Amino acid sequence: MTTNVPVADVAVETSNEPTNYLNCKRGFWSWAATLDHKRIGIMYLVGVTLAFLVGGIFALGIRIQLWSPEGVMFKATSEDGLAGYNQMFTLHGAFMVFMFIIPAIPGALANFALPLMLGAKDVALPRLNLASFYLWLTGTLLACYSIITGAVDTGWTFYTPYSIQTQQSVISMGLAIFILGFSSIFTGMNFIVTCHKLRARGQTWFRMPLFCWAVYSTAILQVLATPVLGITVLLLAFEHMYHIGIFDPAYGGDPVLFQHFFWFYSHPAVYIMILPGMGVISEVVSVHSRKPLFGYRLMAFSAISIGVISFIVWGHHMFTSGQSAFVMMAFSFLTFLVAIPTAIKEFSWVATIWKGSIALTAPMLYAMAFLIIFSIGGLTGIFLGALSTDIHLHDTYFVVAHFHAVMMGSTAVAFFAGVHHWWPQIWGKMYNETLAKISAVLILTGFMVTFLPQFMMGSQGMPRRYATYLPEWEGYHKVSTVGAFILGTGFALMMGYLIHSIFAGKKAKQNYWGGATLDWKTQTPPIHENFDFDPVIESDNIYDYSFLTEEKKA
Amino acid sequence: MSHGPIVQTPTPEGFRPHVVAHHFHDANQEFHSVKLGFWLFLATEVMLFGGVFAAYFIFHGQYPETFVKGGEQLSVPMGSLNTVILLTSSWTMAMGVRACQLSQKKQMLGFLWVTLLCAGGFLVVKYFEYTAKIEHGLLPGSFWHPHGHYAEEFANVEWPNLFFSFYWTMTGIHGVHVILGMLAISWLIWQGGKGRFHSGFSAPVDLIGLYWHIVDLIWIFLFPLLYLVP
Amino acid sequence: MSDAHAHAEHGEVQIDKSLHAHVCSAGTFLKVYVALLILTVLTVGVAQFHFGSANLLIAMAIASVKAGCVMAIFMHLRWDTAINNIAFLGSLLFLGLLFLFTMADFATRGSIDPTMSQHAEPPAQTD
Ligand SMILES: [Cu+2]
Repeated sequence: MTTNVPVADVAVETSNEPTNYLNCKRGFWSWAATLDHKRIGIMYLVGVTLAFLVGGIFALGIRIQLWSPEGVMFKATSEDGLAGYNQMFTLHGAFMVFMFIIPAIPGALANFALPLMLGAKDVALPRLNLASFYLWLTGTLLACYSIITGAVDTGWTFYTPYSIQTQQSVISMGLAIFILGFSSIFTGMNFIVTCHKLRARGQTWFRMPLFCWAVYSTAILQVLATPVLGITVLLLAFEHMYHIGIFDPAYGGDPVLFQHFFWFYSHPAVYIMILPGMGVISEVVSVHSRKPLFGYRLMAFSAISIGVISFIVWGHHMFTSGQSAFVMMAFSFLTFLVAIPTAIKEFSWVATIWKGSIALTAPMLYAMAFLIIFSIGGLTGIFLGALSTDIHLHDTYFVVAHFHAVMMGSTAVAFFAGVHHWWPQIWGKMYNETLAKISAVLILTGFMVTFLPQFMMGSQGMPRRYATYLPEWEGYHKVSTVGAFILGTGFALMMGYLIHSIFAGKKAKQNYWGGATLDWKTQTPPIHENFDFDPVIESDNIYDYSFLTEEKKA
Repeated sequence: MSHGPIVQTPTPEGFRPHVVAHHFHDANQEFHSVKLGFWLFLATEVMLFGGVFAAYFIFHGQYPETFVKGGEQLSVPMGSLNTVILLTSSWTMAMGVRACQLSQKKQMLGFLWVTLLCAGGFLVVKYFEYTAKIEHGLLPGSFWHPHGHYAEEFANVEWPNLFFSFYWTMTGIHGVHVILGMLAISWLIWQGGKGRFHSGFSAPVDLIGLYWHIVDLIWIFLFPLLYLVP
Repeated sequence: MSDAHAHAEHGEVQIDKSLHAHVCSAGTFLKVYVALLILTVLTVGVAQFHFGSANLLIAMAIASVKAGCVMAIFMHLRWDTAINNIAFLGSLLFLGLLFLFTMADFATRGSIDPTMSQHAEPPAQTD
């Protein structure tokens, strides 16, 4: 109920700084019990960054292990053998997927920006929003507990029957993912309702910024796909406790059914990750090129159609699992459909930049890195979606490099583009732009150095998830490890100057980048209630930058 | 967003007023937002149960005799009784929501109490069914150890444990939903007794009502699939 | 209030509509309840006869009619907004996709041998 109290009454005027959502209330509980979407977004930002840190440390561990063919940290000849490596890549995958990428953009960035873009005072269901964050926290803590009690070594995919036979910590990890799933569902529900019910006056569907469309499409996937993952990990936990046998061939079950259920979620999950990233890129590209988005309506429709198509392609992860050849042909064909809306997006971004007044700012550099890496990720997907080539490439480093291009090189990079883009609006502070550009270049370089060799050795047959390998791939692995450390340096640098800017950055001026959408029309940083005026959208051209030239003239 | 005062709905005599949350224009927008959110939540429930149903149909197709034999071990009278109980509770719930919409506090509380009692009755019947199954060793997966003539019954079917895995899993998850529903209805009775729910603010009753109907809906499919295995 | 009216043209938010679109009459609820009971008796009755695979279809058809009654009347979907209908009934559509593809897999396993090519059979011996 405290949020119903008008802001002015409780504001602590410490300086002559205008009241905003950051300084209007202070103290631990004003954050821990907040219903303000902006503050919850920041809590998510901190949370997913920590998860990214943990996942990143595991990633560096993996790359250190693979520095030499016989392994560095875990050796077959040592007492504990290579089992630790399995745990390491499982935890890398699980933390990065379930605790970082999936909640990152919706939880942190959309939470902050979406209500602002719609001219709303908050998300539609603020209590659910806070619950979603605490579910994320609970799930993450439970996952950490499962690490302490004997980390899972199944890979983030938890394939049966192995996941039924391995350690008990699969149960706690499974429950952690069940809880994280509901956190994601609640976030999605909130955004759907917010887009439907809280749009500003005059803001029709086609006057929403494309980020809203992307998040809306993501939210549909979160709501409809995640429950199937929930029931799947629940059944997996039951398998472990009671051997109910649905997925266990030793009791009459079928492990391929587990893969069906798992990928019914986890393919759409790839789009839960990438779609909001696409939304961020749409905003960044438009603002930093000073041009309206090319093909706005097509972009909106493609966001929705990517979401819908993603529900009928999951079998492309199972081309070697023994599912029926007939279904495989159907899945392969349907997979190629995704290329159409995806290409529409890629072309639209490029067309938006074309002849724009391009500012090579840090967010724009990240966006450009996204465009390059996403092309690589998308085009290498063609080989994996085609039945015959996938038989050769399945479970090789080619797949690893492909999905890292999509998840890390595209989604994570888009996330960082968004973080840099909205940073002045979130904190009212500006980071060191030179360092930001250096780290953007480091991350793009690091990505290429890490993953291009993986494409190469993958196509030559280097299998994924192996702790040791044949000496012929040593060169590739060494280059890849060097790349991982370049990436690590880039992220460390970024973390450094971002945190520094919160405390000692220079004050960000109003509407730092000159954005045209409502998220930039409010105070920097926004007040608790977001707007001190009644936002109205009067034109279809929501990316109209003409006001900037007029401001200059004046 | 409007920066004028939020439009509040009038409170009927004898009830507590409801204050619309700060980010809505009026009670109507608040109500429809919350309701859409809840329908989306119910959609997740459909998908959640849908997964188990998909698995059921697949294994039913693979081992039809197992499922028919398994279904024969369940008590049709008990299952039918529980179906009637749940249908009744669904009806009283609908009537309770109606009473709330008409600001009839006494009737609403009455209907909610009947719904709660039905839910309890359902669990009591379930308790007798479960204990019988445990006694006969008709348990899921690795706990499967049928006694006496049950062992003979299942001597010639493939994977007899599978049917009871489904029986326990599906009714178990459904049972958890019943218990959660009872907690929610108890909360409604408690708060409703204080006069919090009325024609101007019926969302909690309405939504928990919807939840309770979903619990009924799932049972409508579980009953023929488990007790009358075709 | 004048401020509220200014928003009337905006999207789905209609200020002047009463909070609840529809209060169903007690008689309708009673009729639906009785129909549900009759359908329950029917489904138990039909299960005593054996029509082969048709039994499953009949049982599911009756259950669907019952579910339809509960959704349309008890859950007020008939009078609810379009978006609420889409939100809930849409899930059935996506659930259908899960059913369709997993079952298609199990139903067609082995129907095509992926390793079979035109050379799968040993070439005919010529002398
Ligand atoms: Cu996929």
